[in-house]
Amino acid sequence: MVKIGIPKTLAYYVYFPLWKTFLEELGVKIILSDDTSREIIDAGVKETVNDACVPIKLFHGHVLNLKDRVDYLFIPRLVSLNGQTIYCPKFLGLPDMVASSLDDLPPILAPDIDLREGLLNLYKVIFKLGTKFTSNPLKIIKAAYKAKQDWKQFNQYLQAGYTAVEAMDKLNGAEIDLNEGDNDLKVAILGYPYIIYDPFVSVGMIQKLRELGVKVVTADMIPEPELEKNFKGLSKELFWTFSDQKIKAGLHYYEQADVDGIIHVTAFGCGPDFIVDKKLELEGKRRKDVSFMCLTIDEHTGEAGIVTRLEAYVDMLKLRSDRNESSLTVS
Amino acid sequence: MNGYLGIDVGSVSTNLVVINEEQNVITNLYLRTKGEPIKVVQQGLQDLKEEIPADLEIKGVGTTGSGRKLASVIVGADIVKNEITTHAIASSHQVPDVRTILEIGGQDSKIIILRDGIVVDFAMNTVCAAGTGSFLDQQAGRLQIPIEEFGDLALKSENDVRIAGRCSVFAESDMIHKQQLGHSVEDIINGLCQALVRNYLNNIGKGKDILGPIVFQGGVAANKGIKAAFAEALDTEIIVPENYDVMGALGSALLAQQKVAKTGTTNFKGWDSASLDYQPSSFECESCTNRCEVIEIYVEEELAARWGHRCHKWDMV
Amino acid sequence: MKVVLPYLSNSHVALKSLIESFDHQVITNQPSKKTLSLGVQHSPEFACIPFKILLGTYIEALENGAEMIITSGGKGPCRAGHYGQLHKEILEDLGYEFEMIVFESLTDSFRDFFGKIRKVAGDASWIRIFKTIWREWNRLTVLDKLQQKVHKVRPRELKPGHTTDVFDEVVDLVAQAESIAEIKEAKKQGIDKLEAIPQNKDFEPLKIGIIGEIYVVLEPFANLEVEKVLGEMGVEVDRSIYLSDWTEEHSFFVPAEDPARDAAKPYLDQLIGGHGQESVGSTVLYGQNDYDGVIHLAPFTCIPEIVAKSILPEVSKEEDIPVLTLFLDEKTGGEGIRTRLEAFIDLLLQKQGRKEMKIS
Repeated sequence: MVKIGIPKTLAYYVYFPLWKTFLEELGVKIILSDDTSREIIDAGVKETVNDACVPIKLFHGHVLNLKDRVDYLFIPRLVSLNGQTIYCPKFLGLPDMVASSLDDLPPILAPDIDLREGLLNLYKVIFKLGTKFTSNPLKIIKAAYKAKQDWKQFNQYLQAGYTAVEAMDKLNGAEIDLNEGDNDLKVAILGYPYIIYDPFVSVGMIQKLRELGVKVVTADMIPEPELEKNFKGLSKELFWTFSDQKIKAGLHYYEQADVDGIIHVTAFGCGPDFIVDKKLELEGKRRKDVSFMCLTIDEHTGEAGIVTRLEAYVDMLKLRSDRNESSLTVS
Repeated sequence: MNGYLGIDVGSVSTNLVVINEEQNVITNLYLRTKGEPIKVVQQGLQDLKEEIPADLEIKGVGTTGSGRKLASVIVGADIVKNEITTHAIASSHQVPDVRTILEIGGQDSKIIILRDGIVVDFAMNTVCAAGTGSFLDQQAGRLQIPIEEFGDLALKSENDVRIAGRCSVFAESDMIHKQQLGHSVEDIINGLCQALVRNYLNNIGKGKDILGPIVFQGGVAANKGIKAAFAEALDTEIIVPENYDVMGALGSALLAQQKVAKTGTTNFKGWDSASLDYQPSSFECESCTNRCEVIEIYVEEELAARWGHRCHKWDMV
Repeated sequence: MKVVLPYLSNSHVALKSLIESFDHQVITNQPSKKTLSLGVQHSPEFACIPFKILLGTYIEALENGAEMIITSGGKGPCRAGHYGQLHKEILEDLGYEFEMIVFESLTDSFRDFFGKIRKVAGDASWIRIFKTIWREWNRLTVLDKLQQKVHKVRPRELKPGHTTDVFDEVVDLVAQAESIAEIKEAKKQGIDKLEAIPQNKDFEPLKIGIIGEIYVVLEPFANLEVEKVLGEMGVEVDRSIYLSDWTEEHSFFVPAEDPARDAAKPYLDQLIGGHGQESVGSTVLYGQNDYDGVIHLAPFTCIPEIVAKSILPEVSKEEDIPVLTLFLDEKTGGEGIRTRLEAFIDLLLQKQGRKEMKIS
């Protein structure tokens, strides 16, 4: 069986259920890299160009972790999936960066996914990829259809408040109790899926907050039409898919004002985020009812540091809701 | 007897080297710059004069380092060269087949890649101190252990302790954390050496073709702990040359010899330059928006040199 | 109205003249250390240096009474396409009142683009507007042509600084021209003046190509005058990009065939925004055209150039052309850059096996 390696980071947290079903239906064996670890981060940091952001370095680490045990690496070039916004330039150049920076790699499968060219383009990509593993077009269509169903289910779980990891476990039939009790506080965690859902990278932030008795909401929990309503709050839509989603989610939660706080989680060296962060911060300044905090994750982030901040933040929110005061902001 | 003088004025240390016609080092000096480059160069000249054989005549002078211009005004240099080139020249003189030079000084560090004696690639640290000697100095101060003892202590370490931090400030807080957890001083010092090496390789060494023979030079090369950490990280033998701490000066002395062989004469102002009165002053030029800081050097109250301006308005003919 | 525009080296002459043709007064200062520190103070830390210099430029002008900011936008994925809007939000948060006009790409929306022209041009007739644009377009191209000449003359000049002094005069000449005929005449005179500079015609300089992000390549304040420094070290530089090329591609005409993009394809087969792909492609072209080296200029944290940087070592090896990347930010010091440039030139000379050069 052909073994295809998929790095367990970046787009994994968004599209893996889709890829998994599609490739497995075509008889491919999928090999995932190990969970993010100190070792994987170190290896990535060592090989990636200095100035890159932590997620890109991490991606290189995952590729190194995989490369010697697979026949192919699956690194789709994500350009545009909705035909409008595109991904960050580092995503656009990812297969080239990996190929230039790392030696002795197995062949890279890097289908260009660019729906600005129309849906037809997507079908072409699906068939081009599919015919690598089967000559039966019907099989490809079936696989694609099934993949889409699974992905839809995955997104429904996300919308229901499961993390990406929990949603994938649920797809595999696991029972997960979200334990939604009475929460005094509700906090929106805004961050790219590969930051907030990777337990190592985010130092288990979502779980920690839940343990502190906080109901956590994310950008994934807002249905698309709801999200798009927030367009009017922007003088120009952001170019990058994830950033666009993040800022609209921020505006959504500010607008609804049913959260006590918004935590923006950003990775050190992230290019688009200085714009997102500044806009969310300025928006927070204009609205005094929701408290805004930014947490920066880097390759050395210690658990202690993040936990201290989260605890202090939650304490502050509690104090604030007790006093019914609304003029505190943290940065 | 003929001699050639090389002077390397860095932000932390100033080194002077005298070589003979056969390119052997006759004497060398390692002095702390302490923010007073003029004074230290003059002091160095006086000290050198005492040390060298009475029949030695200086036939050529080269200067290098961040204070290379200043030094050249004081002594009258035949060649003023950047420190990357002088380090490479000295290194390939001492280890002719060298292919990688790791250099760590007080405030900056470099990597130089050579092939067949020719520099083919290099990098210098930019703003961060985490890959330089001052990183160790700071931590030594915090641990209250003399920096000279660092290397030997590191070699006594028995357990790996990872000190995290891309930046010396973060590393310091992580080190304190590790101390609080109860790790031994030896292990922590070894962890610091590994952190420095990791930062160096991840920043300056990134993407460079590091092949042996590898030469490790600069003031920090005295530290056996760092040498061992490099050997471990790169999995090869690391050569620390005899004159590891004065390589820049040695390189400029070698260049001076080459240069004078061609020109036949030297600009050396003689040992008296050590006792002349040099006064630096500066002013901000207001001719344009660049607002250049122009530096002037007066010798015995006479203007001897001027630099710092981007245009040619203040050039001295 | 009092207007502020981004300052972009000598091209400012043409942009200023364009706006002032419509009864405005352009009050942009050439960026200085003060501009930069103002910009740094009010910018997010990880914004790139063009963002910071522009913000500082706007603040200085607003303090001097500017009422309108005119700048360009973009379609991404380079971050600069959002700078106009973010600058506006930050400046408003600081309490300034002004009108901001961001020219987005013509292909985005004709109506928007021409609406904004109308806003800037007041009641001038369309014929006058187009004539003015055409005249300034000519001025811009002439300035770029003269700049190219400067790159050739400077390494050969006998008296250091002579070329720069003459070029300043020449730019003034071009600035004073009032019609296309006068601009052409100024160009002729300019070329003559530059050629009249006493030169060592036998000198064979090293040839270095300059690539990277457009703002830091074009604006000497941002790149610490790297072209001039190299020129005076006796290096003939070639810039991979000029403002006239960029404007041609981004606003008025259909995108031209770009040889740099084609050349980049084996290494990076995707537009990544900014000038990332051009940086890779231009390096390939410089390698094929027997240049001695390439200097890659990029703002610190620039996304497309980070992608380019990670690919350039491979290009450098394959095409056998040394590349020096300089990431620039507010902490970059002139001395540090100079040391690296000197060492890079030494490296190129050694590679060539040549010894003598006029290195100071």
